[in-house]
This record gives sequence, C-alpha cells and structure tokens, in this order.
Amino acid sequence: MISVRNLSKYYGARQVLSATSHDFPPGQITSVIGPNGAGKSTLLMLMARLLEPSQGQVLLGQDDATLMPINQYAQNVATLRQSPGLNMRLTVAELVAFGRFPYSRGSLTQDDHRMIDEALNFLSLAPLRHAYLDEISGGQRQLAFLAMTIAQQTSVLLLDEPLNNLDMKHAVHIMQSLRRLCDEQGRTVILVIHDVNFAANYSDHILALKAGEVQFSGSTHDTIDESLLRDLYELDFEIMNNKRGCVCDYFTPRLGASQ
Amino acid sequence: MLYSDKLDSNRHNSNRHYTQKLSCLLLLIVALSLILLLAGSGLDVDYIIPKRFARLTAIIIGSLCVALSSIIFQTLVNNRILTPAIMGYEAVYLMWQALLLLTLGTHGLAMLGTGGNFFISLALMLVYSWLLQRWLLGQARPDLYRLLLIGLVLTMVISTFTQFVQLRIDPGEFAVLQGLSYASFTRANTDTLLYSIIAVTLVCVIGYKYWPELDALTLGQAQATSLGVNTTQLMRLYLALIAILVSVSTSLIGPTAFLGIFVANITYALSASRKHRLTLPMGCAIAMTLFLVAQLLVEHVFNYRTTVTILINLVCGAYFLMLIVRTRGTL
Repeated sequence: MISVRNLSKYYGARQVLSATSHDFPPGQITSVIGPNGAGKSTLLMLMARLLEPSQGQVLLGQDDATLMPINQYAQNVATLRQSPGLNMRLTVAELVAFGRFPYSRGSLTQDDHRMIDEALNFLSLAPLRHAYLDEISGGQRQLAFLAMTIAQQTSVLLLDEPLNNLDMKHAVHIMQSLRRLCDEQGRTVILVIHDVNFAANYSDHILALKAGEVQFSGSTHDTIDESLLRDLYELDFEIMNNKRGCVCDYFTPRLGASQ
Repeated sequence: MLYSDKLDSNRHNSNRHYTQKLSCLLLLIVALSLILLLAGSGLDVDYIIPKRFARLTAIIIGSLCVALSSIIFQTLVNNRILTPAIMGYEAVYLMWQALLLLTLGTHGLAMLGTGGNFFISLALMLVYSWLLQRWLLGQARPDLYRLLLIGLVLTMVISTFTQFVQLRIDPGEFAVLQGLSYASFTRANTDTLLYSIIAVTLVCVIGYKYWPELDALTLGQAQATSLGVNTTQLMRLYLALIAILVSVSTSLIGPTAFLGIFVANITYALSASRKHRLTLPMGCAIAMTLFLVAQLLVEHVFNYRTTVTILINLVCGAYFLMLIVRTRGTL
C-alpha cells in the first residue's frame, strides 16, 4: 500500500501542498480531483520521487520511499507524466521495452519479451508494435506510453492526466484498461484527472484537493455529491444517475447559483 | 498482420543497413589511414612514417574524444544542438593557456612541461564541468534556449577575456597562443599522446558500464528517473568524463568548434536510432573519416595553404545553419 504522511511542498514561500496525509486503498483506482493549482500534480510527482518533499514522507508499505534505492522503487511504482515529449524516433515496441529497464537494464530476457507482448496485447497495440511513435495518433501514442508503464509490472501506477488531449474513444479505452488492471491484476492505480465524469464512473475512491489541502476523500459513492463538488469547483452541479452510471452536469450553471 | 510483417522486414533491413554503413566507413578509414601513412613517404621507416604515425594516432584519439563527448553531452541535456564546445569548454582551455603565457611566459610553459600542463588543464575542465553541472542539475527542467544562450554568452565572455590577455603578452608568446587556437594534428608530442591514450581508455572503460542508462536518459530525465535511473549521479559521472574527453581533445588537436554538432547529427541520421550501442561507434567512425579527409586535403590538395579548422568549420558551419533552419521549432 502506498500512503503519504504530512507531505508538504514549498517553492520559496509559496506553499503548493501543505501537510497532506492519505492512504491510497490497494487494488483500487483512486482519482485525484480538484481545480487547477490545487497541488494534484505536485502530490503525484512527490509520490513518483520526481520532486523532493519539503516535509513529510511517502510510505510504500511501512518503508520510507525516499530511503529506497531508485531502481528498487521503479520495480514497485511506475509513473506516466503529462504528455511526455520525445525527441527521438522510436517504435512502439522499443518504447514499451523501456518499461523493463528496472529489471534488465536494456538487455531483454525471454521474460521481458513476454511482458512486453502482454502489455501490447492488453491495450490492443500489437498491430502497431513496429510503427514509429511520431507516425501514430496522439491517442495511440498515449496508449504506447501507458503500455510501457504496464510492462514495468509494478503494484502501483501513478498517472498524471492520462486523458489529456484525447478523443472520447481513446479516453474510454484508457479508463477501461485501467479498470481491468485493477480488477484482473489487482494493481493500485492513482491518477490525476480533470474530467469529473470519468472520475465518477471509473474510480473506486476519490481524493479532492483544493489550494494545497485535502478538501474531502472517500469512496466514489460518498463523494460524488452535488454540494461537495460545488464547494470544490465553485460551480453549480447537478448529478443525474441512470442505469449506465452517473453524469455530473456542470456545463450550464444556473445564474447566481455559483456565487 | 501483413502491415506488421512489412514493418518487421523494414526493421531488419535497417539493422543490416547499419552494419553495412559502419563496415564501409571502417574500410574507408583503413584506406585513408594507409594513404596518410604511406603516400609519398618513400617508405622511410626511420623518420617520416613514425612522424605520420603519431599524427594518425592524434587523429584517432581526437575523433574518439569529439564524437563521444558530443553525443553523450547531447543525451545529457536532451537536445541536438548543444555540444561541449558550444557550452564554453574549449574557451576555458584557451583562456587558461593565455593566462599561463601571461604569467609564466614561454619559458614557464616549458618548465611546466607537457605533463604538468595536461593535468592542470584536465583539473580545470573538471572544475568548469562541476560548476556547469551544479547549474544544470539545479534546474527542474533545463530549457534549451536558455542553455544555448548561457553557452554562447559564456563562450563570448571567456573568449573576450582571452583576447584581452592576448593584448598584454609579447609577440612571440602571441604566436604560441595563436598556434593553440587552431585545430591541428601535428602539434601533439609523444608524451601528450601517451597521456591521452591512457585518459581516453579510462573514460571508455568507466563510461561503457552505463551505456544502457544513457539510452533510458534519451526519454528525458523524469522518465528515466521513473524507470529507476539515478539521473543525478549519472549526469555527474558523465559530465566529468566529458570534461576529460574535451581536455584531451583540446590539448591534442585544439578547438573543434562546430565539429561535434556535425558528427552527432550525421550519426543520428545514419544509424536511424538513439541507442548508444549503435550511435557511439558510428559517431567515432564518422569523426575519424572527417578528420582524415580534412587532413589529407590540407596536406595533398591545398599544400598547407589552409588549415583543418578552416575546412571543417566551413562545411560544419554551413551544416549547422541548415540544421537550425530546417528543424525550426522541432528541436
């Protein structure tokens, strides 16, 4: 299980995240939601060890994550950042092969090849395995990066806005894949997400941040609530449940209601 | 299925092409080396051939240094334009030589000896590299344009300072300094060659261990960290190795300016990959070919009426301009 204790991050005097503590339920999808500048990505980057915390700890089980060798950490926690840029030509399979780096340092074993194939098949990317990344669509590229993280075979996956700039079909494909990762393989998925509807329909657990502090957290059922979301986003919400899930409608706030 | 089969065979072809290209280059290098050694030598094994052999060794060691340092540096800062030469390494070397001449004079320089000068320059490069690395690592995400600006400004400031020193020294010393500021394969003596061979061998042995980590670093620092690479340590190690390579190449053959960019980018184009196990050998072969061709042209076509630097800068400078114009916005 991954958890954070009293985690804070300052840039000079500016506090981006203040004394945040949270236990992320294992084997479930947790969506981190909140307005821009709430500290969501900062929290995720601290957990990924891409930023140094100003205070507090990230715990992996009982161990302090920052004391663990980075290579060992990479075998437990995989991270996919926001729209990762790439300035070289790589094929999809070559990119996914990097997911095995923490285990084999680039010289792939039979096992590694199997994991790479599994990850590609899991996301139905096998037909594109030899295509170059700069020749496929943005959605397919995002899937390729996700496949790399999956091939890393970690118990925890951290994803920073994985649906950014994707069309609906690819967004649904990614969310369904994440759901299957939890349900079929028991992995813990933690993602920062802006689309509250995807969060409501696919995650088990919600962590809402605002101005660097935890606003609320809990099971999706308890937290997708009109008044909680209204306070979080300062927008007027109407939540409609139907047989396929729920829709949080915030598109046309009633006049005056958001004040 | 058909589509992927086709791509499969493309991939196979590109591997075969790489081997073909590299073998062609190697054959060319052997041929050019033999010409350099033997052409018009009258097979004089007592004087001419040993002299030329030293020159050939300088070319080989120098091109190894230039290719390895440029390609690895580009991986560390994650772009295709910056090289150690642009980041001011060579300017620092020249400034140091100018200062030495000013304070000690040519006699002092002779007293310091080749070895002394070599090792002090090396230490100086390491210090410069350490400062640069502190600054590079201090940045969450080094911005290309800022790095480029800093590099150019540093080079300019240091070169201007060198010029200022030049005005204070006497004409004889000025001639010595002038000689140092052009690339040439004839200046190296046996001592420098020996130290250089030892240094480059050491760098290769240490550097070879972490080639796979360099590959991961081509995905960017953050992604490499997520894949379990200790990027801070890796940067520190390789910047130190690069400092050694640059100090070897500058003391052996002088400043190489644009050559690094030229070699690195031709390498990426020819090896169609950024895997260091492919790019580093290819880069070395390209640099050797280029140096050998330039040296042969200077010796046999231009009869020493031009220098290697002028030839190389002419070709490479034009290529550099083309690179900036053609890849505008995508670098």
